[in-house]
This record gives sequence, structure tokens and C-alpha cells, in this order.
Amino acid sequence: MSAIGQCLIAFVFGSVVGILVQRSRFCNTAALRDAILFKTYRNTKALLVAMIILTFGFTLFLTFGEGNPMRFDVGLNTFAGLFIFGVGMVLAGACTVSTWVKTGEGNVGALWALLFTFVGMFLFSLAWSANYWPPAPASMTGEPNLEALQLGYSNAATLQEKFGIPAIVFGLVQVGVLVLIYRAILRKEAAQAERHRQSQAARAVATAAE
Amino acid sequence: MPSEFFKKTLDPVIALAAIAVLDIFLFLMIGAFTVGGGETMMTGLIAEAAMGDDLQRLPFWNLVFEPDPTYWKIYISLGMLFGAFVSAVLSKEFYIRMPRRLSEWVLITIGGLLMGIGIRLAFVCNVSTFFGMTPEMNMGGYLAISGILAGAWVGSLIYKKILEG
Repeated sequence: MSAIGQCLIAFVFGSVVGILVQRSRFCNTAALRDAILFKTYRNTKALLVAMIILTFGFTLFLTFGEGNPMRFDVGLNTFAGLFIFGVGMVLAGACTVSTWVKTGEGNVGALWALLFTFVGMFLFSLAWSANYWPPAPASMTGEPNLEALQLGYSNAATLQEKFGIPAIVFGLVQVGVLVLIYRAILRKEAAQAERHRQSQAARAVATAAE
Repeated sequence: MPSEFFKKTLDPVIALAAIAVLDIFLFLMIGAFTVGGGETMMTGLIAEAAMGDDLQRLPFWNLVFEPDPTYWKIYISLGMLFGAFVSAVLSKEFYIRMPRRLSEWVLITIGGLLMGIGIRLAFVCNVSTFFGMTPEMNMGGYLAISGILAGAWVGSLIYKKILEG
């Protein structure tokens, strides 16, 4: 596919995502922050449903050698980078998707967060140009490189290659785990609703007694 | 029917299920949904416009991200901006909102910087983590989820302290 064709498909995909996220008020930051801080799971459940569908779809196609998975080594930088990102997204009150979507709604704070994300990226490019870590994709080997704190490359397709078990089997195990997490959230919500109902009933009895 | 769509809030489970199905098509055609890579390329293009040939002195912009306006990931972000704008206008939800307090501006500035640094250090963003790597069962997905959960927890503690004053 030509580069222009790819850009057009990406733009159409992004536009539909922008509409769906704007209409649903979905926020990835809220999916994590609200579950941790407020024990509410509106966004967390949506994120889990997406991951269940994606795990099934991606591993099904990877079984037949289809799809374009990400190919680069991962390592300590993957954990550390997302840790820094996680702190930042809660402080900014937005993640990569919501900064774009909220900017589209006229939110100047989101635009400001976006501009400083760019500044952060540029600052990192200065640091990388001095120490060349983590390794550039061109010099990645796919194998563990402990000296550079890299663990290499592996996904459902490489597991299939290594163990001779179809990628979808690993995918179904992951789907099972995600479904269990989803069900645990539903149980927690049911318990919260029951406690709420009981406290309402107790309040009604107390009011009637007065 | 379309006007109804722009009046009511959509259930996020339905929205995210639809995004997931579209993401599978994108994965088959080009690659999974991601935002950080496109943002990095935009940073490079802006820096190139501002600095010209001086940008070549920074190896990052030769070896990792050579500025290229035809990089498809840029257009996911621009599409989201466009889609959200159209949707906000059609739902009469577009209006200019400004953070009111100085503390909000400071938090957004620090948060934005940390997000940018974090994405580049990890080579992935939150979208790649949840909508790309982890569903591909890439080892990096599990490292990234552990990192983002720990970071969101620390961020929430800081946020709570600030809320409590």
C-alpha cells in the first residue's frame, strides 16, 4: 500500500475514534485513576472489553501469519517509560487519546498538555543523542541483551514458532484472564450497589423513626 | 437517527468494542492503533521547521525518527482531532475551556512533559500498550502495563495529596 493510502486509512480510523471517544467520554486515564482512587469502573470495563476483542482478533490472525505486529525489543525502559507516563497522565488529567479529543472539543488545557508532550519528547531526543539508550530499532537484535537492559522480542507469533502451539491458544488464555478481571469488577460493583441500597434503607428507617 | 447519536452519551463499552473491531482491520492493513509514534514524528517535523539543518546535529532525529510527513501514525492523531471537533460541534459541546487556577496549569505542564519523556523512553504510549502490544501478547505489553499501573498509582497518590490540600 502506498504511503498516501496508509495516511488516508489512518486519518479515517482516527476520525471515527475521535467521534466515538467524544460521544462516549471514554478516557484511558480515568480507566486507571478512577479504579485506583474512587473505585469506579465505567472506563475500566470498556478498556477490558476492547482488550478481550483485540486479544482474540490479533492472536487469531497471528496464528495464520497475518497482521502487522509491533517489532522492537523491550526492556527496563518499557517499564520505566510507562511508569513516568502513568504519573504524568494522572497529573495532566489526560492521556494521548484524550489530549487530542479534548483539544477538538475546545479544551485549552488539553492543548497545553499536548504541546508539553511534544516538548518532553524533544527533551528526551536531546538526552538520547548523548547516551544512545535505549537502543534504536535499527540496532535491536530481538534477543535478550542484559548489558543494555533489553529482554528482546516476543509475542504470540514467536510463542507459536517456539512451542508449535497456535497463537490463538495463548490468546484464549489471555482472554480468559481478562474475562476473570471483568467479572471481578462486576462482582465489586454489585457489592457496592448492595451496600448503597442497604445504607439508603437504613437512612429511610431512621428518617421514619424521627 | 444520526442526530440522536449526537444528543445522547454513548456507552463506552459499545464505543470501545467498535474501536477494537476497527483496530483489528487497521492491524491487518498497516499496524495497530498507536499515538505516541505519530506525536514524535510531529515533534520532529516542528523541530525541523524551527531549527532547519541544525536538527541533523541530534542523532535521534537521524537514527530513530527521521522527520517524514508521510508517516501514517501522524494521521491517526489528526483524525482524532478532526473527528472530535466535528462530533463536539454536532453535539453542541464545542466551547473554549480554560484551566482556571495556576496550579492546574502547573500540573498539566508537568504531566505533559512526563508523558512525552515516558513515551520516548519506552518507545510506546498507553494506546500501544492497551490496543497493540498487550493484545499481540508482546512481552513489552506486560512490562508497560506494570509500569503504567504503578505510575498511575503514584500519580493518584500525588493527586490525592493535592486535592486534600
